[in-house]
Amino acid sequence: MNVKKYIRITDFCKGHALEESFLVSLHEIELIDIREVESERVIPKRDLRRLERLVRLHRDLEISPQGLLAVDHLLNRMEVLQEEVLELRRRLNRWE
Amino acid sequence: MDFIDYYNVLGIPSTATAKEIKAAYRKMARKYHPDLNPNDSNAELKFKQANEAHEVLSDPEKRKKYDQYGKDWMHAEEFEKARKSRGPSGDAGQYTYSTGQEGDFSDFFESMFGGFTSGRSGQGRGRGFKGQDYNANLQLDLRDAFKTHKRTLTVGDRNIRITIPAGIEDGQTIRIKGYGGPGINGGPKGDLYLTFEIRNTTGFRRDGSNLYKSVAVPLTTAVLGGDLTVDTFDGKAKLKVKPLSQNNTRVKLTGKGFPKYKKEGEFGNLFITYEVTLPRHLTEEQKRLFESLKATNL
Repeated sequence: MNVKKYIRITDFCKGHALEESFLVSLHEIELIDIREVESERVIPKRDLRRLERLVRLHRDLEISPQGLLAVDHLLNRMEVLQEEVLELRRRLNRWE
Repeated sequence: MDFIDYYNVLGIPSTATAKEIKAAYRKMARKYHPDLNPNDSNAELKFKQANEAHEVLSDPEKRKKYDQYGKDWMHAEEFEKARKSRGPSGDAGQYTYSTGQEGDFSDFFESMFGGFTSGRSGQGRGRGFKGQDYNANLQLDLRDAFKTHKRTLTVGDRNIRITIPAGIEDGQTIRIKGYGGPGINGGPKGDLYLTFEIRNTTGFRRDGSNLYKSVAVPLTTAVLGGDLTVDTFDGKAKLKVKPLSQNNTRVKLTGKGFPKYKKEGEFGNLFITYEVTLPRHLTEEQKRLFESLKATNL
């Protein structure tokens, strides 16, 4: 398995003291992508930041997987909009 | 050091039940959680305040001490002595106080409760929260992204020396662990997410590890074939142009593209597109030769 690309969900859950069923429930609502690589259930490392954010929100605020789906969608939209604002500010600065 | 009205922080009366305290805390935590308010220091402060208020008010013993001595916190020590002289109470052992990491609480809290966070065993209360993640952009020239190099960044008041691997992509984000905001309640520091903006003024178009460039090929070279020297990203290369090469012919120079990210020694390809140039002026002789060609029905 390409350890640079994937992380085993057993390792992730151990590191975060989480039940694997929580990740499975996120996978079932298509919030994360659990794959099977060489008979191991893994998540792509590029999704790690997002997944850690979901875990914190679930733990700190007791948000259910369904609630996380909505929060994640809105946070992603917010990030896109913030990037757009930054880009527009940069362009504006060139003309000011 | 000022007295902090924890009831006021959570917006509840001093008669609030444990359920009401929890509900008020949840409401504030939802509103001001650092993950929901990235790069908002005011929200982070409010979250810390709510966390501190909850830490005190949701713990019956701390709440009792706070209610009794809160406004007169300088005498809290006397409370402690008196409590100890009474001996262990009925629920002694229910709480485990650790000498864990120093918390991120106010001076008022630390003065009154000893400066260390506490937690009820098995319930996770008093657990540290990870600090806020920071996001930053870093502009690089495409030439800088061609080679692995080190760069020093200033984040807040800290200098960080990072290694930028060759082949980093425009818009790519990397995580630098532990360079975000301070942890809350003894939690770990947040991370720094660095997004690269790569400016390209090189004349090469980049797509992943492949590079693309158009070069002018004289008409005679395109028709008869010949040698052509082209610029690669880090030097020059000789090309053999095949006879009767058409305009927009694309040739591949294997391994002359951009480095592959984190694959040392591996490069993409350089694709050269021929732009066959037609002459703008002809000498009398050239004109005569073209007319001869025309006569052959070329």
